[in-house]
Amino acid sequence: MDRRRFCLTASAAAGAFAAPALLRGAARASEGAFRVRYFPVAAGMRSRDVTAAPDGAIWFCGQQNGMMGRLDPRDGSYKLVSLGSGAAPHGVVLGPDNALWITEGGQNAIARLDLKDHTVRLFKLPASQGYANLNTGVFDKRGIYWFTGQTGIYGRLDPKTGDMAVFEAPRGRGPYGITCTPAGDVWYASLAGNFIGKIDLATGRTMIVEPPTKNQGARRVWSDSKGRLWVSEWNSGNVSMHDPANGSWRTWKLPGERPRCYSVYVDEKDIVWLTDFAANAIVRFDPATEKFTSFPSNMPNANVRQMDGRPGEAWGGESGTNRLVVVETLPPA
Amino acid sequence: MSGAGARRFLFGAGALWATAVLDGAPASADDLGQRLFEPSRACHALDPASPPMAGPNLFGLIERGVAGDPNFDYSPVLRAARASGLVWNRRLLDQFLRDPEAMFPGMWMTSRPMPDTAERRALADFLADPKSR
Repeated sequence: MDRRRFCLTASAAAGAFAAPALLRGAARASEGAFRVRYFPVAAGMRSRDVTAAPDGAIWFCGQQNGMMGRLDPRDGSYKLVSLGSGAAPHGVVLGPDNALWITEGGQNAIARLDLKDHTVRLFKLPASQGYANLNTGVFDKRGIYWFTGQTGIYGRLDPKTGDMAVFEAPRGRGPYGITCTPAGDVWYASLAGNFIGKIDLATGRTMIVEPPTKNQGARRVWSDSKGRLWVSEWNSGNVSMHDPANGSWRTWKLPGERPRCYSVYVDEKDIVWLTDFAANAIVRFDPATEKFTSFPSNMPNANVRQMDGRPGEAWGGESGTNRLVVVETLPPA
Repeated sequence: MSGAGARRFLFGAGALWATAVLDGAPASADDLGQRLFEPSRACHALDPASPPMAGPNLFGLIERGVAGDPNFDYSPVLRAARASGLVWNRRLLDQFLRDPEAMFPGMWMTSRPMPDTAERRALADFLADPKSR
């Protein structure tokens, strides 16, 4: 399917740390109203992947300065925690142990950041594997951490024992985003391999599933509440959806002349949040109405590379402006 | 430059940041350039016949205009550089590798500074060689 419905462009012009009275650009659509807020962080840190912590903070990766950041959205203040010399964190998720688990590419390791005392523990990849260009991680329902490396690997880590296994990906280079479905299945996307794959959790093997668009550049993948897989396609500019239950696919082109769909996140209401580098925008997609709602950044070159969130809030890191951004879905008036 | 442990460099792609972890074995400059380029292959091709990838094809980079792959839609900052007539040469490539973000802030590719002069030279040699694939 290639339907283009572009119902609303919300002016995303809220001031950083702005109190509600100072906010501009709140947009109202049939789905409700939205409010966009920006939070500047340290200059030059290239704030990117984010995750929400139980205490209300938003944690984010500073890929350029090797730091993890903790934002307090209540007042916009933030703190930085070093991951060590040479660090370059890419992805972060909250683990079942309420610690942060980070794909720490700079040290070719998985890092655990304790949220209580901010101590860091590294789980280095086997030296025999060489540089992995670690990308993204996710926990399965058994508490095993799975991760990808763009040089052509994926792996698993048992946080309790520290045991790690690394697997060569089919088609080599490319493993990027990774997700776990409500049923406990783990899937990843291969950007260079142009596929999504389901990992056999027992053997570690990958079962390739081909998206319908050739050379689409499947970059990130996120499961909705029904176990359907949403895929951001960088090369094609599509968002696609695969239902493993029946093997079906559906595909939608993002609005605009030549979209570049970088990331995908599915919220608690199964609303799909995308980022489009060509439009410099966060794009909301409602699968029920098949409508896109775009939230262009109020600064150029925002480059939001990943999103995550919590009920009513879709968060991202503007890696190009060193800010975090949140799109809040407000209750209907 | 030869040998050495964990090295970081960058030259990457549509969104590739790359760090090379090299083993301790000595390497010729040619080998080093090739090895430094390896992580970038996840997004970049050097074979002009390669299908489109996440980043532009780098065949014939030297003396090519910036943002010069006609099959790739570049970020605004690189399109502006192209419009200004900027052309890749060894000096510009060295400057870029030293600190890509400083040269083209906001480009889609993620990249980190590459401070080692010898590594920059080796990578540039590899990229400038029309036989490199």
